[in-house]
Amino acid sequence: MPELELPLVIAAILAGTLAVTSAGRGAWIAMVILVVTSSALEFAIAELDRIGLMLRLAAIGIGLAVAIPANLFERAGLRRDLALRRLVATLGEHPVVIASALAGLLLGLVPLALPIESSSDTLRAAGITLIVVGLPPLLTSRFIEATSRAAVVTLAGTLLLRTSIFGALDPLGSLAVAAGFACILIVGSGVASRISSAEEE
Amino acid sequence: MTIDDALPLIRALLPVLTALASLALVPIVRAWRGAQSEGSVNYPTSAVQVLLLATSAGAALSGAGFLSTLRIGQITIDPSEPGRLLVILGGAVFAVIVGAGEGRRAATMGQIALFGLAAIDLALAIPAGIAPIALLLFASLGISGAAASGKDDIGRARAVFRDLRTVSLLLPTVVIAEILRVAISYAAVDPSYATPASLAAGTALGVSLVVIVAAGVFPFHNRLIKIFEALPIVGSLLVGVWIPSALALIVMGELATLASSITDPLGGAIVPGILLAGAATLIFGAVSALLNDDIGEVVGYIAVGNAGWIAMAAAAALQSPTDTSSRLIVLPGLLTISLFGLWLVSVRRRYGTTSISELGGWARRTSANGIVLIAAIVALAALPPGAILEARLNLLILGGNPLIGLVAVAGQLLLIVAAIRLLLVGFTPQSQTVHEAETRPFANIITMSLIAGSLFVAAAAAGWLSLESGGTGQLPPAPSVSPAVSFEPEPSTNPTVGPSVEPTPIVTPSPEISPTATPSGDNGVSPTP
Repeated sequence: MPELELPLVIAAILAGTLAVTSAGRGAWIAMVILVVTSSALEFAIAELDRIGLMLRLAAIGIGLAVAIPANLFERAGLRRDLALRRLVATLGEHPVVIASALAGLLLGLVPLALPIESSSDTLRAAGITLIVVGLPPLLTSRFIEATSRAAVVTLAGTLLLRTSIFGALDPLGSLAVAAGFACILIVGSGVASRISSAEEE
Repeated sequence: MTIDDALPLIRALLPVLTALASLALVPIVRAWRGAQSEGSVNYPTSAVQVLLLATSAGAALSGAGFLSTLRIGQITIDPSEPGRLLVILGGAVFAVIVGAGEGRRAATMGQIALFGLAAIDLALAIPAGIAPIALLLFASLGISGAAASGKDDIGRARAVFRDLRTVSLLLPTVVIAEILRVAISYAAVDPSYATPASLAAGTALGVSLVVIVAAGVFPFHNRLIKIFEALPIVGSLLVGVWIPSALALIVMGELATLASSITDPLGGAIVPGILLAGAATLIFGAVSALLNDDIGEVVGYIAVGNAGWIAMAAAAALQSPTDTSSRLIVLPGLLTISLFGLWLVSVRRRYGTTSISELGGWARRTSANGIVLIAAIVALAALPPGAILEARLNLLILGGNPLIGLVAVAGQLLLIVAAIRLLLVGFTPQSQTVHEAETRPFANIITMSLIAGSLFVAAAAAGWLSLESGGTGQLPPAPSVSPAVSFEPEPSTNPTVGPSVEPTPIVTPSPEISPTATPSGDNGVSPTP
């Protein structure tokens, strides 16, 4: 399905940018979209590997089921937080992240002095964009949930960059990374709740 | 599934299966006998200790030969000698630590140890590349998360948070190293690329960073100290020492392969830089251990000192890919730190404090703990001089810089002094805390196992037991088929007759060829002399 590559890449980049700029429902929904689109790009577009795709989605599904806040799917809240105007406003409040994303996109589209000339341009661009967007909050954020979301964005970007050059991961690598995604989400949410309950005491 | 299909599966995945079995066994034992102790017996803890010892014995029986190689489609799980040796020793070490730790969560800690050992065994059994490194990094994160659970302690939570950030940064580093490594083959034929030597230096830096950060080499030591301060000792040892040591074995294999694949000297100042970091770590760890007044931190800084040796071993793997000294020092180091951990948990449990000023006379009050610390000091000093000391000296000679060698030797001596200081505190007049503490009789199963276990581990760490034949064995080679551009390693100068050789009817009874002069035992793992 090569015709789906570009829309999925755009969706992944937008979702990754929103995952690190928004908070609450918007961020979580963006992260769900990011992991689904990046997994599809890795295991359905770059190389068809149904088992790898199912493994990744299952692991991330388990991780999200544990990590996602209980009131996430409240209808009124979802309608309010996912309104297009609000999402655009959120992105507008973070011009540095948008500039980073654009810079990453350009950097990814330009072949560098590495063997990545032979790689898929769009996947490489998506990978580098997500790394550039995810790394700064991963390094600097003091908020645990934001850091674990940034970790997921960075990891998804790294894997897209790797896929653009090497193809999809081997089965064991795929299993290890899928478990890693789940681990980041579960440990991140566990730590966040522990710190907040310790602070309340 | 026939018995012939099931046996390789059991042999290959024994530590994983035992860890999974503990998830069912512990609740069953709790339901049957209750979680409370009866006399000195805590049944769930005892059950986990039995499982740890069973894993250890099972790994020794399964070995690392072709009989324990599992193939499922394209997936090959090929247990390695170092992996099995770590499980054999780890099972015994953690069984003793869990027993000495006692406490409400001892059984949970034992389960965590089982999963940690399973992850190490599995990672060292799968072909080199991104999968084993990712597996170990994420296992480290999962273990620190699990070890920190059960208590709303901000310090613990922050230590896990730091680990989450570290792990998330290290995986992209590995991928970048992987990409640079592929570029080496392009650089050899296309002058528009950077030179192979500089690309190899970039790859070496990326791969080394994983072990430097995970092991706590200066200036990344803070994570290790926080782990020892905040996490329970089983979690601290697994996350701070055992998993980084397994990572070091993988990384050293990769570095040796990388160094033997290029003809020019490695570009940049990578080797001197890593050597310098190693020596600085040793001296920094030793001085900090001497200056601290908390035994948890002192043990943490001794672990930092051990990380210095790991960094120097990584540099030696780049300098001399065929030399096995670099891999030989990993195992004794982790056993030594485990002994210090065992002493720490035992003293902390008995006296309820970690402040040196409150622990005056501890060795006179509990002589078993004194024996454990003496065993740890003997292991740290690697006495009497033998293979371990020779390997350390070899690393310093391979480094080729007398000043760095001198700093490293000074650091090691100061580490020993720091450990002796802890022992001397034990012979000063008894403090109020020590005097009032409850002690158990010497002829007690926990005390006896503590002493026997510490003597066994010290013997292994100091080189009295011939561990080198198993500990320096080959890891499974990197996959030779990659979907797009190949990431296969260049031919290594190491002998690569590995466990993945297809068994044929004419194969000899011992399918493994150990790269060392000393032959392996029957199963490729020989912890006995």
